[in-house]
Amino acid sequence: MADTDRDGSGHGTHEHAGTAPVVEEVTDFEVLEIALRELAIEKGLFTADDHRRYTEHVEQLEPAAGSRFVARAWLDPDFKRLALDDAIAASREMGIDWLHPTGFGTPSDFTAFELLEDTPTVHHVIVCTLCSCYPRPMLGMSPEWYRTPNYRRRIVRWPRQVLAEFGLYLPEDVEVRVEDSNSKHRFMVLPVRPDGTEGWSEEQLAEIVTRDCLIGVALPRPGVTSTASRPVHPAIRPVHGD
Amino acid sequence: MGNSVMGDLSSQLRVALHRVQDWPYPDQIDHGLYQAYMKTPHDVGGEPDAPALFEDKEEEQWELNTFVTCEVLGWRGIWTSEERRRIGNVDLGRTNYLGLPYYGRWLWAVARVLVEKRHITLGELIERVSEVRDRHADGSGPLDAAPRTTGDVEAVARNRHHLDAVGKGDPQCFAGTAGTPAFAVGDTVSVRELPTIFYTRTQEYLRGARGTVAKVSYESLAPEDEAFDREDQESEWFYIVRFRMADLWEAYTGCANDTLQAEISERWLRPAI
Repeated sequence: MADTDRDGSGHGTHEHAGTAPVVEEVTDFEVLEIALRELAIEKGLFTADDHRRYTEHVEQLEPAAGSRFVARAWLDPDFKRLALDDAIAASREMGIDWLHPTGFGTPSDFTAFELLEDTPTVHHVIVCTLCSCYPRPMLGMSPEWYRTPNYRRRIVRWPRQVLAEFGLYLPEDVEVRVEDSNSKHRFMVLPVRPDGTEGWSEEQLAEIVTRDCLIGVALPRPGVTSTASRPVHPAIRPVHGD
Repeated sequence: MGNSVMGDLSSQLRVALHRVQDWPYPDQIDHGLYQAYMKTPHDVGGEPDAPALFEDKEEEQWELNTFVTCEVLGWRGIWTSEERRRIGNVDLGRTNYLGLPYYGRWLWAVARVLVEKRHITLGELIERVSEVRDRHADGSGPLDAAPRTTGDVEAVARNRHHLDAVGKGDPQCFAGTAGTPAFAVGDTVSVRELPTIFYTRTQEYLRGARGTVAKVSYESLAPEDEAFDREDQESEWFYIVRFRMADLWEAYTGCANDTLQAEISERWLRPAI
Protein backbone atom coordinates (compact mmCIF):
# COMPACT_ATOMS: atom_id res chain seq x y z
CA MET A 1 0.00 0.00 0.00
CA ALA A 2 3.04 2.18 0.40
CA ASP A 3 3.20 4.04 -2.86
CA THR A 4 -0.43 4.79 -3.51
CA ASP A 5 -2.37 7.64 -2.04
CA ARG A 6 -5.51 6.13 -0.55
CA ASP A 7 -7.47 9.14 0.57
CA GLY A 8 -6.47 11.79 -1.92
CA SER A 9 -4.89 13.93 0.76
CA GLY A 10 -1.58 14.11 -1.04
CA HIS A 11 0.18 12.19 1.70
CA GLY A 12 1.69 8.93 0.69
CA THR A 13 3.77 9.35 -2.42
CA HIS A 14 5.37 12.58 -1.29
CA GLU A 15 5.61 12.37 2.43
CA HIS A 16 6.54 15.76 3.83
CA ALA A 17 7.69 15.84 7.41
CA GLY A 18 5.66 18.22 9.51
CA THR A 19 4.71 21.45 7.81
CA ALA A 20 8.15 22.51 6.61
CA PRO A 21 7.95 23.67 2.99
CA VAL A 22 9.74 21.28 0.68
CA VAL A 23 11.13 22.46 -2.62
CA GLU A 24 10.40 19.66 -5.05
CA GLU A 25 13.17 19.10 -7.51
CA VAL A 26 12.24 19.91 -11.07
CA THR A 27 11.40 16.66 -12.88
CA ASP A 28 12.77 15.35 -16.16
CA PHE A 29 9.32 15.71 -17.68
CA GLU A 30 9.00 19.34 -16.65
CA VAL A 31 12.42 20.15 -18.08
CA LEU A 32 11.75 18.41 -21.38
CA GLU A 33 8.32 20.01 -21.70
CA ILE A 34 9.71 23.50 -21.22
CA ALA A 35 12.64 22.91 -23.57
CA LEU A 36 10.38 21.65 -26.35
CA ARG A 37 7.86 24.46 -25.96
CA GLU A 38 10.62 27.08 -26.05
CA LEU A 39 12.16 25.57 -29.19
CA ALA A 40 8.80 25.19 -30.93
CA ILE A 41 7.99 28.85 -30.34
CA GLU A 42 11.48 30.01 -31.35
CA LYS A 43 11.23 28.02 -34.59
CA GLY A 44 7.82 29.51 -35.42
CA LEU A 45 5.95 26.18 -35.23
CA PHE A 46 3.34 27.89 -33.09
CA THR A 47 3.14 31.00 -30.94
CA ALA A 48 2.95 31.41 -27.18
CA ASP A 49 -0.48 32.92 -27.81
CA ASP A 50 -1.64 29.76 -29.65
CA HIS A 51 -0.62 27.75 -26.61
CA ARG A 52 -2.40 30.08 -24.22
CA ARG A 53 -5.59 30.13 -26.29
CA TYR A 54 -5.71 26.37 -26.57
CA THR A 55 -5.09 26.02 -22.83
CA GLU A 56 -8.08 28.27 -22.18
CA HIS A 57 -10.18 26.08 -24.46
CA VAL A 58 -9.19 22.96 -22.54
CA GLU A 59 -9.74 24.54 -19.14
CA GLN A 60 -13.38 25.37 -19.84
CA LEU A 61 -14.28 21.79 -20.84
CA GLU A 62 -16.26 19.81 -18.28
CA PRO A 63 -18.52 16.75 -18.09
CA ALA A 64 -21.46 19.00 -17.14
CA ALA A 65 -22.03 19.61 -20.85
CA GLY A 66 -22.68 15.90 -21.40
CA SER A 67 -25.02 15.79 -18.41
CA ARG A 68 -27.09 18.67 -19.76
CA PHE A 69 -27.10 17.05 -23.20
CA VAL A 70 -28.64 13.84 -21.80
CA ALA A 71 -31.14 15.66 -19.57
CA ARG A 72 -32.36 17.63 -22.54
CA ALA A 73 -32.65 14.51 -24.70
CA TRP A 74 -34.79 12.92 -21.96
CA LEU A 75 -37.15 15.90 -21.88
CA ASP A 76 -37.30 17.05 -25.48
CA PRO A 77 -38.18 14.38 -28.11
CA ASP A 78 -37.17 16.66 -31.00
CA PHE A 79 -33.77 17.25 -29.45
CA LYS A 80 -33.36 13.53 -28.79
CA ARG A 81 -34.15 12.75 -32.43
CA LEU A 82 -31.59 15.31 -33.57
CA ALA A 83 -29.04 14.00 -31.05
CA LEU A 84 -29.38 10.43 -32.33
CA ASP A 85 -29.39 11.52 -35.95
CA ASP A 86 -26.65 14.18 -35.87
CA ALA A 87 -25.01 14.55 -32.49
CA ILE A 88 -22.65 17.25 -33.80
CA ALA A 89 -25.65 19.42 -34.77
CA ALA A 90 -27.31 18.71 -31.43
CA SER A 91 -24.10 19.74 -29.65
CA ARG A 92 -24.07 22.98 -31.59
CA GLU A 93 -27.63 23.67 -30.47
CA MET A 94 -26.36 23.38 -26.90
CA GLY A 95 -23.55 25.83 -27.53
CA ILE A 96 -20.81 23.26 -28.06
CA ASP A 97 -19.15 23.64 -31.43
CA TRP A 98 -17.00 20.62 -32.26
CA LEU A 99 -15.11 22.76 -34.81
CA HIS A 100 -13.64 24.80 -31.95
CA PRO A 101 -11.04 26.00 -31.24
CA THR A 102 -9.14 25.50 -34.51
CA GLY A 103 -11.91 25.81 -37.11
CA PHE A 104 -11.56 22.08 -37.83
CA GLY A 105 -12.06 20.69 -34.35
CA THR A 106 -9.52 19.62 -31.80
CA PRO A 107 -6.79 17.63 -33.55
CA SER A 108 -7.20 14.58 -31.33
CA ASP A 109 -11.00 14.42 -30.96
CA PHE A 110 -12.03 14.95 -34.60
CA THR A 111 -15.58 16.04 -35.39
CA ALA A 112 -17.56 12.79 -35.60
CA PHE A 113 -19.75 12.26 -32.54
CA GLU A 114 -22.29 9.53 -31.92
CA LEU A 115 -24.74 9.06 -29.09
CA LEU A 116 -25.27 5.45 -27.97
CA GLU A 117 -28.86 5.01 -26.83
CA ASP A 118 -29.40 2.53 -24.02
CA THR A 119 -32.72 0.69 -23.84
CA PRO A 120 -34.17 -1.57 -21.15
CA THR A 121 -32.40 -4.44 -22.98
CA VAL A 122 -29.15 -2.86 -24.26
CA HIS A 123 -26.41 -1.23 -22.16
CA HIS A 124 -23.46 0.53 -23.79
CA VAL A 125 -20.01 1.10 -22.33
CA ILE A 126 -17.14 2.98 -23.97
CA VAL A 127 -13.43 2.24 -24.18
CA CYS A 128 -10.55 2.95 -26.51
CA THR A 129 -8.36 -0.14 -26.46
CA LEU A 130 -5.65 1.54 -28.55
CA CYS A 131 -5.14 4.79 -26.66
CA SER A 132 -7.69 6.84 -24.76
CA CYS A 133 -10.10 8.33 -27.34
CA TYR A 134 -12.81 10.16 -25.44
CA PRO A 135 -15.34 12.89 -26.33
CA ARG A 136 -13.38 15.76 -24.75
CA PRO A 137 -15.49 18.57 -26.28
CA MET A 138 -18.46 17.07 -24.43
CA LEU A 139 -16.91 15.52 -21.32
CA GLY A 140 -13.57 17.25 -20.78
CA MET A 141 -10.42 15.28 -20.03
CA SER A 142 -10.76 11.54 -19.49
CA PRO A 143 -10.26 10.07 -16.01
CA GLU A 144 -6.97 8.30 -15.33
CA TRP A 145 -8.55 4.84 -14.98
CA TYR A 146 -10.12 5.15 -18.44
CA ARG A 147 -6.62 5.50 -19.92
CA THR A 148 -5.06 2.54 -18.12
CA PRO A 149 -4.11 -0.66 -19.93
CA ASN A 150 -6.02 -2.52 -17.22
CA TYR A 151 -9.42 -1.06 -18.13
CA ARG A 152 -8.63 -1.24 -21.86
CA ARG A 153 -7.45 -4.84 -21.69
CA ARG A 154 -10.35 -6.21 -19.72
CA ILE A 155 -13.54 -4.29 -20.59
CA VAL A 156 -13.63 -5.71 -24.14
CA ARG A 157 -13.33 -9.31 -22.93
CA TRP A 158 -14.81 -9.43 -19.44
CA PRO A 159 -17.23 -6.48 -19.53
CA ARG A 160 -19.64 -7.80 -16.94
CA GLN A 161 -16.86 -8.45 -14.45
CA VAL A 162 -15.33 -5.01 -14.98
CA LEU A 163 -18.71 -3.28 -14.70
CA ALA A 164 -19.28 -5.18 -11.46
CA GLU A 165 -16.03 -3.71 -10.14
CA PHE A 166 -17.60 -0.31 -10.77
CA GLY A 167 -20.63 -1.48 -8.79
CA LEU A 168 -22.78 -2.02 -11.87
CA TYR A 169 -24.45 -5.45 -11.99
CA LEU A 170 -26.47 -6.02 -15.15
CA PRO A 171 -29.13 -8.73 -15.47
CA GLU A 172 -28.73 -11.44 -18.08
CA ASP A 173 -31.53 -10.13 -20.27
CA VAL A 174 -29.60 -6.88 -20.82
CA GLU A 175 -27.19 -7.08 -23.77
CA VAL A 176 -23.85 -5.47 -22.93
CA ARG A 177 -22.55 -3.62 -25.98
CA VAL A 178 -18.94 -2.47 -25.68
CA GLU A 179 -18.02 0.36 -28.03
CA ASP A 180 -14.32 0.28 -28.83
CA SER A 181 -13.70 3.85 -29.91
CA ASN A 182 -10.73 2.93 -32.08
CA SER A 183 -11.11 5.37 -35.01
CA LYS A 184 -12.41 8.92 -35.55
CA HIS A 185 -15.88 8.63 -34.02
CA ARG A 186 -16.28 9.72 -30.42
CA PHE A 187 -19.10 8.25 -28.35
CA MET A 188 -21.24 9.08 -25.34
CA VAL A 189 -23.90 6.95 -23.70
CA LEU A 190 -27.52 8.10 -23.51
CA PRO A 191 -28.73 6.14 -20.48
CA VAL A 192 -32.35 5.16 -19.86
CA ARG A 193 -34.10 7.78 -17.75
CA PRO A 194 -34.58 6.15 -14.36
CA ASP A 195 -37.87 5.71 -12.55
CA GLY A 196 -38.51 8.18 -9.77
CA THR A 197 -37.62 11.23 -11.87
CA GLU A 198 -41.12 12.05 -13.12
CA GLY A 199 -41.74 15.77 -13.32
CA TRP A 200 -38.08 16.67 -12.77
CA SER A 201 -36.56 19.76 -14.38
CA GLU A 202 -33.64 19.64 -16.81
CA GLU A 203 -31.33 20.86 -14.03
CA GLN A 204 -32.50 18.15 -11.62
CA LEU A 205 -32.06 15.46 -14.26
CA ALA A 206 -28.63 16.71 -15.30
CA GLU A 207 -27.43 16.37 -11.69
CA ILE A 208 -27.84 12.59 -11.69
CA VAL A 209 -26.13 12.09 -15.07
CA THR A 210 -22.57 11.72 -13.79
CA ARG A 211 -19.47 11.30 -15.93
CA ASP A 212 -19.46 7.57 -15.17
CA CYS A 213 -23.01 7.29 -16.56
CA LEU A 214 -21.88 8.94 -19.80
CA ILE A 215 -19.03 6.43 -20.18
CA GLY A 216 -21.37 3.59 -19.28
CA VAL A 217 -19.78 2.28 -16.08
CA ALA A 218 -22.70 3.50 -13.94
CA LEU A 219 -26.44 4.08 -14.29
CA PRO A 220 -28.17 7.30 -13.25
CA ARG A 221 -30.07 6.98 -9.98
CA PRO A 222 -32.17 9.52 -8.10
CA GLY A 223 -30.12 10.79 -5.18
CA VAL A 224 -26.72 10.00 -6.74
CA THR A 225 -25.26 13.25 -8.06
CA SER A 226 -21.56 12.57 -8.12
CA THR A 227 -19.22 10.03 -9.66
CA ALA A 228 -18.19 7.28 -7.24
CA SER A 229 -15.36 8.35 -4.97
CA ARG A 230 -12.05 6.79 -5.97
CA PRO A 231 -8.49 7.09 -4.77
CA VAL A 232 -6.84 10.17 -6.27
CA HIS A 233 -3.15 10.13 -7.06
CA PRO A 234 -1.87 13.61 -6.18
CA ALA A 235 0.26 15.78 -8.44
CA ILE A 236 3.60 17.28 -7.36
CA ARG A 237 2.80 20.56 -9.11
CA PRO A 238 -0.89 20.38 -10.02
CA VAL A 239 -2.53 22.48 -12.70
CA HIS A 240 -3.33 25.83 -11.14
CA GLY A 241 -6.76 25.63 -9.58
CA ASP A 242 -7.03 21.87 -10.07
CA MET B 1 -1.45 2.99 -10.46
CA GLY B 2 -4.39 1.03 -11.74
CA ASN B 3 -2.39 -2.12 -12.26
CA SER B 4 -0.15 -2.12 -9.23
CA VAL B 5 -2.07 -5.10 -7.79
CA MET B 6 -3.01 -2.70 -5.04
CA GLY B 7 0.57 -2.23 -3.92
CA ASP B 8 0.95 -5.82 -2.75
CA LEU B 9 4.49 -6.88 -3.62
CA SER B 10 4.30 -10.47 -2.40
CA SER B 11 1.66 -11.40 -4.92
CA GLN B 12 3.88 -10.05 -7.66
CA LEU B 13 6.88 -12.26 -6.90
CA ARG B 14 7.41 -14.62 -9.79
CA VAL B 15 9.36 -17.78 -10.27
CA ALA B 16 11.27 -17.14 -13.48
CA LEU B 17 13.92 -18.76 -15.59
CA HIS B 18 16.10 -16.06 -17.05
CA ARG B 19 18.05 -17.19 -20.07
CA VAL B 20 21.32 -15.32 -20.35
CA GLN B 21 21.28 -14.48 -24.02
CA ASP B 22 21.63 -11.49 -26.31
CA TRP B 23 19.39 -11.72 -29.35
CA PRO B 24 18.08 -15.13 -30.39
CA TYR B 25 19.16 -17.04 -33.46
CA PRO B 26 16.72 -16.85 -36.41
CA ASP B 27 15.63 -20.47 -35.98
CA GLN B 28 14.58 -19.70 -32.41
CA ILE B 29 11.81 -17.32 -33.51
CA ASP B 30 8.75 -19.15 -34.79
CA HIS B 31 5.73 -17.40 -36.30
CA GLY B 32 3.92 -17.04 -32.99
CA LEU B 33 6.88 -15.41 -31.29
CA TYR B 34 7.50 -13.19 -34.31
CA GLN B 35 3.89 -11.98 -34.15
CA ALA B 36 4.28 -11.27 -30.45
CA TYR B 37 7.35 -9.10 -31.07
CA MET B 38 5.68 -7.32 -33.99
CA LYS B 39 2.44 -6.65 -32.12
CA THR B 40 1.96 -2.93 -31.67
CA PRO B 41 2.20 -2.21 -27.93
CA HIS B 42 -0.87 0.06 -27.91
CA ASP B 43 -3.11 -2.86 -28.92
CA VAL B 44 -3.94 -4.23 -25.46
CA GLY B 45 -7.61 -5.27 -25.85
CA GLY B 46 -8.22 -8.72 -24.42
CA GLU B 47 -4.83 -9.18 -22.74
CA PRO B 48 -5.35 -11.05 -19.48
CA ASP B 49 -5.05 -8.88 -16.41
CA ALA B 50 -6.11 -8.94 -12.79
CA PRO B 51 -8.84 -6.78 -11.26
CA ALA B 52 -7.41 -3.52 -9.96
CA LEU B 53 -8.51 -0.37 -8.24
CA PHE B 54 -9.73 2.22 -10.70
CA GLU B 55 -8.12 5.51 -9.71
CA ASP B 56 -8.37 9.17 -10.55
CA LYS B 57 -5.35 11.41 -10.79
CA GLU B 58 -4.60 15.04 -10.25
CA GLU B 59 -3.05 16.58 -13.36
CA GLU B 60 0.48 17.96 -13.27
CA GLN B 61 0.99 21.35 -14.88
CA TRP B 62 3.52 19.84 -17.30
CA GLU B 63 0.95 17.25 -18.33
CA LEU B 64 -1.58 19.89 -19.34
CA ASN B 65 1.17 21.86 -21.10
CA THR B 66 2.23 18.74 -22.97
CA PHE B 67 -1.31 17.92 -24.07
CA VAL B 68 -1.77 21.49 -25.30
CA THR B 69 1.56 21.48 -27.14
CA CYS B 70 0.53 18.29 -28.95
CA GLU B 71 -2.82 19.74 -29.93
CA VAL B 72 -1.34 23.05 -31.04
CA LEU B 73 1.18 21.19 -33.22
CA GLY B 74 -1.85 19.59 -34.89
CA TRP B 75 -3.68 22.89 -35.14
CA ARG B 76 -0.69 24.46 -36.89
CA GLY B 77 -0.08 21.57 -39.28
CA ILE B 78 3.13 20.11 -37.87
CA TRP B 79 1.53 16.68 -37.48
CA THR B 80 -1.82 14.92 -37.36
CA SER B 81 -2.95 13.28 -34.14
CA GLU B 82 -2.49 9.92 -35.88
CA GLU B 83 1.23 10.64 -36.28
CA ARG B 84 1.33 11.49 -32.58
CA ARG B 85 -0.39 8.19 -31.68
CA ARG B 86 1.97 6.20 -33.88
CA ILE B 87 5.08 7.79 -32.39
CA GLY B 88 4.02 8.00 -28.75
CA ASN B 89 1.99 4.79 -28.43
CA VAL B 90 3.84 2.40 -30.71
CA ASP B 91 7.21 3.57 -32.02
CA LEU B 92 8.65 3.99 -28.56
CA GLY B 93 8.38 0.25 -27.91
CA ARG B 94 6.71 -1.92 -25.33
CA THR B 95 9.09 -1.26 -22.46
CA ASN B 96 8.62 2.48 -22.60
CA TYR B 97 4.94 2.16 -23.47
CA LEU B 98 4.33 0.46 -20.16
CA GLY B 99 7.18 2.14 -18.29
CA LEU B 100 6.58 5.85 -18.85
CA PRO B 101 3.64 7.89 -17.54
CA TYR B 102 0.80 8.57 -19.97
CA TYR B 103 1.83 12.12 -20.81
CA GLY B 104 5.50 11.16 -20.63
CA ARG B 105 4.83 9.33 -23.89
CA TRP B 106 3.06 12.32 -25.42
CA LEU B 107 6.12 14.40 -24.57
CA TRP B 108 8.46 11.80 -26.06
CA ALA B 109 6.42 12.00 -29.26
CA VAL B 110 6.81 15.80 -29.45
CA ALA B 111 10.58 15.52 -29.13
CA ARG B 112 10.70 12.79 -31.71
CA VAL B 113 8.56 14.52 -34.33
CA LEU B 114 10.39 17.85 -34.06
CA VAL B 115 13.73 16.16 -34.62
CA GLU B 116 12.56 13.75 -37.33
CA LYS B 117 10.78 16.46 -39.31
CA ARG B 118 13.91 18.59 -39.08
CA HIS B 119 12.29 21.46 -37.15
CA ILE B 120 15.04 21.20 -34.55
CA THR B 121 18.29 19.32 -34.36
CA LEU B 122 18.93 16.80 -31.66
CA GLY B 123 21.90 18.91 -30.60
CA GLU B 124 19.62 21.90 -30.02
CA LEU B 125 17.30 19.80 -27.94
CA ILE B 126 20.03 18.30 -25.82
CA GLU B 127 21.56 21.72 -25.12
CA ARG B 128 18.20 23.26 -24.29
CA VAL B 129 17.21 20.48 -21.90
CA SER B 130 20.54 20.92 -20.14
CA GLU B 131 20.08 24.69 -19.96
CA VAL B 132 16.51 24.50 -18.63
CA ARG B 133 17.66 22.06 -15.97
CA ASP B 134 20.45 24.44 -14.88
CA ARG B 135 18.06 27.38 -14.88
CA HIS B 136 15.77 25.64 -12.41
CA ALA B 137 18.40 23.74 -10.45
CA ASP B 138 17.98 25.76 -7.28
CA GLY B 139 14.18 25.54 -7.35
CA SER B 140 13.80 29.30 -7.65
CA GLY B 141 12.13 31.34 -10.34
CA PRO B 142 8.97 30.55 -12.28
CA LEU B 143 8.92 27.11 -13.83
CA ASP B 144 7.86 28.11 -17.30
CA ALA B 145 9.01 28.46 -20.88
CA ALA B 146 11.01 31.55 -21.72
CA PRO B 147 11.49 31.56 -25.49
CA ARG B 148 14.28 33.92 -26.56
CA THR B 149 12.76 34.81 -29.90
CA THR B 150 9.64 34.23 -31.93
CA GLY B 151 10.28 32.35 -35.12
CA ASP B 152 9.15 33.04 -38.65
CA VAL B 153 5.86 31.15 -38.91
CA GLU B 154 5.82 31.56 -42.69
CA ALA B 155 9.06 29.64 -43.14
CA VAL B 156 7.82 26.42 -41.52
CA ALA B 157 6.83 23.32 -43.53
CA ARG B 158 3.26 22.36 -42.62
CA ASN B 159 0.72 19.79 -43.79
CA ARG B 160 -2.23 20.56 -46.09
CA HIS B 161 -4.72 19.07 -43.68
CA HIS B 162 -4.67 21.92 -41.14
CA LEU B 163 -5.89 24.27 -43.89
CA ASP B 164 -8.09 21.90 -45.92
CA ALA B 165 -10.15 20.89 -42.89
CA VAL B 166 -10.97 24.42 -41.70
CA GLY B 167 -14.70 25.08 -41.65
CA LYS B 168 -15.41 21.41 -42.41
CA GLY B 169 -13.87 19.33 -39.65
CA ASP B 170 -12.21 15.94 -39.81
CA PRO B 171 -13.39 13.45 -41.20
CA GLN B 172 -15.87 15.77 -43.01
CA CYS B 173 -12.94 17.20 -45.00
CA PHE B 174 -12.68 13.82 -46.78
CA ALA B 175 -16.37 13.65 -47.74
CA GLY B 176 -16.99 12.69 -51.36
CA THR B 177 -13.46 11.44 -52.00
CA ALA B 178 -13.82 7.65 -51.63
CA GLY B 179 -16.49 6.75 -54.16
CA THR B 180 -19.19 4.23 -53.35
CA PRO B 181 -18.97 2.30 -50.09
CA ALA B 182 -18.42 -1.41 -50.67
CA PHE B 183 -20.63 -2.41 -47.74
CA ALA B 184 -24.06 -1.42 -46.46
CA VAL B 185 -25.72 -1.60 -43.06
CA GLY B 186 -26.64 -5.21 -42.34
CA ASP B 187 -23.92 -6.76 -44.50
CA THR B 188 -21.97 -9.59 -42.95
CA VAL B 189 -18.24 -8.96 -43.13
CA SER B 190 -15.07 -10.52 -41.83
CA VAL B 191 -11.92 -8.78 -40.67
CA ARG B 192 -8.87 -9.66 -42.72
CA GLU B 193 -5.92 -11.34 -41.06
CA LEU B 194 -3.26 -9.03 -42.42
CA PRO B 195 0.19 -8.93 -40.84
CA THR B 196 0.96 -6.19 -38.34
CA ILE B 197 3.84 -3.98 -39.41
CA PHE B 198 4.53 -0.70 -37.60
CA TYR B 199 1.00 0.67 -37.19
CA THR B 200 -2.69 -0.02 -37.50
CA ARG B 201 -5.90 0.74 -35.65
CA THR B 202 -7.47 -2.62 -36.50
CA GLN B 203 -7.15 -4.48 -33.26
CA GLU B 204 -5.59 -7.91 -33.14
CA TYR B 205 -8.54 -9.33 -31.23
CA LEU B 206 -10.82 -8.61 -34.21
CA ARG B 207 -8.69 -10.29 -36.86
CA GLY B 208 -10.54 -13.04 -38.65
CA ALA B 209 -13.81 -12.30 -36.82
CA ARG B 210 -17.21 -12.13 -38.50
CA GLY B 211 -19.48 -9.18 -37.80
CA THR B 212 -22.34 -7.12 -39.15
CA VAL B 213 -22.07 -3.58 -40.49
CA ALA B 214 -23.99 -1.34 -38.05
CA LYS B 215 -23.14 2.00 -39.64
CA VAL B 216 -21.43 3.32 -42.76
CA SER B 217 -19.38 5.93 -40.93
CA TYR B 218 -17.36 8.35 -43.05
CA GLU B 219 -14.53 8.62 -45.53
CA SER B 220 -11.00 9.27 -44.31
CA LEU B 221 -7.39 8.45 -44.94
CA ALA B 222 -6.62 5.08 -43.35
CA PRO B 223 -4.61 5.20 -40.10
CA GLU B 224 -1.77 3.33 -41.81
CA ASP B 225 -1.39 6.36 -44.13
CA GLU B 226 -2.35 9.18 -41.80
CA ALA B 227 0.12 7.98 -39.18
CA PHE B 228 2.96 8.46 -41.68
CA ASP B 229 1.88 11.84 -43.03
CA ARG B 230 0.82 10.38 -46.40
CA GLU B 231 -1.58 13.08 -47.52
CA ASP B 232 -0.98 11.93 -51.08
CA GLN B 233 -2.91 8.68 -50.49
CA GLU B 234 -6.57 7.96 -51.30
CA SER B 235 -9.21 8.04 -48.61
CA GLU B 236 -11.54 5.13 -47.96
CA TRP B 237 -14.82 4.27 -46.23
CA PHE B 238 -15.01 3.34 -42.58
CA TYR B 239 -17.68 1.16 -40.98
CA ILE B 240 -18.89 0.51 -37.47
CA VAL B 241 -19.05 -3.26 -37.28
CA ARG B 242 -20.91 -5.19 -34.60
CA PHE B 243 -19.47 -8.48 -33.33
CA ARG B 244 -20.89 -11.08 -30.98
CA MET B 245 -18.65 -11.37 -27.94
CA ALA B 246 -18.97 -15.13 -28.16
CA ASP B 247 -17.43 -14.94 -31.66
CA LEU B 248 -14.46 -12.88 -30.44
CA TRP B 249 -13.50 -14.74 -27.29
CA GLU B 250 -13.20 -18.44 -26.74
CA ALA B 251 -15.31 -19.48 -23.78
CA TYR B 252 -16.80 -16.02 -23.35
CA THR B 253 -18.31 -16.02 -19.88
CA GLY B 254 -20.85 -13.21 -20.31
CA CYS B 255 -24.25 -13.60 -21.95
CA ALA B 256 -24.84 -15.02 -25.40
CA ASN B 257 -26.24 -11.77 -26.80
CA ASP B 258 -23.42 -9.48 -25.56
CA THR B 259 -21.79 -7.53 -28.39
CA LEU B 260 -18.87 -5.26 -29.25
CA GLN B 261 -18.57 -2.58 -31.90
CA ALA B 262 -15.49 -1.10 -33.53
CA GLU B 263 -14.85 1.22 -36.46
CA ILE B 264 -12.82 -0.32 -39.25
CA SER B 265 -11.52 0.92 -42.58
CA GLU B 266 -12.61 -0.78 -45.80
CA ARG B 267 -9.20 -2.30 -46.61
CA TRP B 268 -9.51 -4.51 -43.52
CA LEU B 269 -12.95 -5.92 -44.41
CA ARG B 270 -14.13 -8.63 -46.80
CA PRO B 271 -17.62 -9.98 -47.45
CA ALA B 272 -18.06 -12.87 -45.05
CA ILE B 273 -18.13 -16.24 -46.75
